[in-house]
Amino acid sequence: MLKTNPKMFVCILFLLFSLALSACSGNGGANAPGATNEANGGHADRSPTDDAGTSNPQLTGTLKVQMIGDFSVEDKTDAITGQKSKGIKVLKDEFEKRYPGTTVEFVLMGWDNYNEKTQTMLQSNAADVYQVPGIAKFAEQGLLEPLQPYIDRDSFDLGIYLNGQVDGWRAMGPNDQEPEIYSLPYIGDARLIVYDTKLFDDWGVPYLSESPTIDEILEKAKLMTGTNPKTGEQNYGLTFNGKDAADTIMNVNEAKGGQWGSGFLWKEMTLEFDTPSMVESAEWLNEAMQYAPEGVLVNQGAENFLNVNNNIAINLRAAPGFVNTIEAFGTKDRYQASLLFKHPENGMGGMFAGSPFAIGTTSSNKELAWEWLKFSGSEFFQEYMWMEQRSQSMPVIKSAADWDSVKEIPQMDIILKQMSQLWAPRYPYRSGQPRYILSENVERILLGEVPAAEGLKKAQEESSKWVKDQL
Amino acid sequence: MWYVFLLPTLLGILFFTVYPLLESLRLSFTRGVEERFVGTDNYTDVLTSDTFWYAVYNTLYITIFQLIFAIPLGFVLACLINSLRRSSHFFKVLFYIPNTTSMVAAATVFVAILHPDGPLNYALELLGMEKVVWLSQPVSAKWGAIILSVWHWLGFVIIICLANLQAIPIEYYEASSIDGATRLQQWWFITIPNMLGSLALLCILGWIGGLQRFADVFMLGGLQGSPARSLHTVVGFIFERGFGGNEYGIASAAAYILFLVILVFTYFNIKLLRMKI
Repeated sequence: MLKTNPKMFVCILFLLFSLALSACSGNGGANAPGATNEANGGHADRSPTDDAGTSNPQLTGTLKVQMIGDFSVEDKTDAITGQKSKGIKVLKDEFEKRYPGTTVEFVLMGWDNYNEKTQTMLQSNAADVYQVPGIAKFAEQGLLEPLQPYIDRDSFDLGIYLNGQVDGWRAMGPNDQEPEIYSLPYIGDARLIVYDTKLFDDWGVPYLSESPTIDEILEKAKLMTGTNPKTGEQNYGLTFNGKDAADTIMNVNEAKGGQWGSGFLWKEMTLEFDTPSMVESAEWLNEAMQYAPEGVLVNQGAENFLNVNNNIAINLRAAPGFVNTIEAFGTKDRYQASLLFKHPENGMGGMFAGSPFAIGTTSSNKELAWEWLKFSGSEFFQEYMWMEQRSQSMPVIKSAADWDSVKEIPQMDIILKQMSQLWAPRYPYRSGQPRYILSENVERILLGEVPAAEGLKKAQEESSKWVKDQL
Repeated sequence: MWYVFLLPTLLGILFFTVYPLLESLRLSFTRGVEERFVGTDNYTDVLTSDTFWYAVYNTLYITIFQLIFAIPLGFVLACLINSLRRSSHFFKVLFYIPNTTSMVAAATVFVAILHPDGPLNYALELLGMEKVVWLSQPVSAKWGAIILSVWHWLGFVIIICLANLQAIPIEYYEASSIDGATRLQQWWFITIPNMLGSLALLCILGWIGGLQRFADVFMLGGLQGSPARSLHTVVGFIFERGFGGNEYGIASAAAYILFLVILVFTYFNIKLLRMKI
């Protein structure tokens, strides 16, 4: 007669329980980077190389991709220019072709309250891939998947991206000690110094150099303010985005060897808003304002910049989409671009911008989501964005410089260079009140309400107090 | 079974009004993404914030001048329109059109009207006055917002006043004519006393709307109410802290403070104007 050993019985029960648990574990294991995939016959998720790295044609399932902006799945016609553009169905078709058995579904949203909507989606597992320009907030909550393990596993070459583009989007998760990679860039953006060569010719002033100094800008702006010697019209030497005046001052500060501060999370952040170089930068912009239209602080008076009736020589902060505008206005040979000011030691300068893609930790199809992220850095994806979505996207990969369509636009050379020298990681103070406090005090300085040193001291004190209160 | 028919509405109120209100109250005692409890710190921070009090000042400044100009002007215009034998409908429509326009659209148009080279400055220069760079200086920017709000609200004031004017019994005027009252005396002793209810209502609605001011100043001055926060209102403060910096605790606390302010203002308005609601 078989005698039951209680210890044996417990062991068998434990094994059966473990077996049941492992059977119920869903695809969590398969989702882990480097895990084997039973559907692939047990081999790891590695596959033939495409132009953006690796892909795995055996992956299947539905991939939900959230995108923010003026996107449309189907083809559409621009209401103003009448130009037709192909919808993002092109991306869906290509991805599904590369990964047979997969289905891509898009969740499209506008820019209004995109952070709040994305937060809700991330918490409710409403998509797998997310466009996250506000990445820091989501990463610190542990809502985004760290990408370094995926990158290491696939030996994914980050060198395909323009310099600084990956670093610019680094963020910190709840357990990170340093900013890590939680996303890959797919929309590029920057600000540039753009100038009107016709006004330079009218005044007989040499064009701006590729990387002008702050003294060069001021000197040439001064020369071109007044009555145009050829047209007799009132000209202004420069303009800038008044509502971004604080960013302009920060960029001038970088040219003087200063920086915004240090740290990434609020608890370790120190700000440098009232340093001597910041004070000098604010005074510089105050001086420069006398060569700008009266309404510059509220973005009035420069409405004709980029068109044929323009009366302003230099714009210190133009978005790269200006190449589309001058194409529409027929002035593409008239306007040229120069690089923003950069730090003399680290060679970076200017506010980092654009959008990356990330994977939600709640995603139920992380492997496929990772494939989408790599796909977004492919030439196919980036060239589609450039050709069909140019109004809201600049390429983020180095190879774009070799495309004929890019080469035929002379200003693109500078735009791509500028995107490679933006300050990275992004200014993290812009995610909270310090951004608004600095802007408010900079505006007071530019209105002449307070001296530069006093205004920036106030900005420093208020911002530091706010940062301290976040602990 | 009658209450079954009320259930959808009651559930709607419960889920979409009561729950968000309670959730906002809870959030007002928390801070950070982890929503840690901080007691009344958010309320203290809001009430000790210079930015908040400047936003309160801006809100009151724009609202007071909006009411001071729009209500008397609307009343006088309504009286004039009411006295017209012909074309009254034309003027009613003319003045009411701005009020039917979305404030966002109206403010967008006003950005052009208030441009340094815009039509308002053109008119000022025709009158021999110097042009004003309206939105570039704190005081003139506030007056730009006042002009916009008066223009937008005037039609509403006129329509309410007209409705009241037409409800005043004609016999009052006939009897006073027999007693020898002049048109001005009729207006002063009959029209105005009979209009007090409507004028009080306009005051209260104007206050509540004014304290909630956001769309117009946001369109003119952006998120921060530029220049130098001169167009930053209380709701702008809530919006900036909530959606500009994800400080939902601070934003919720400020929203509850605004709610209490509106409650107190409305209470005193009703008491002062002796309204029976």
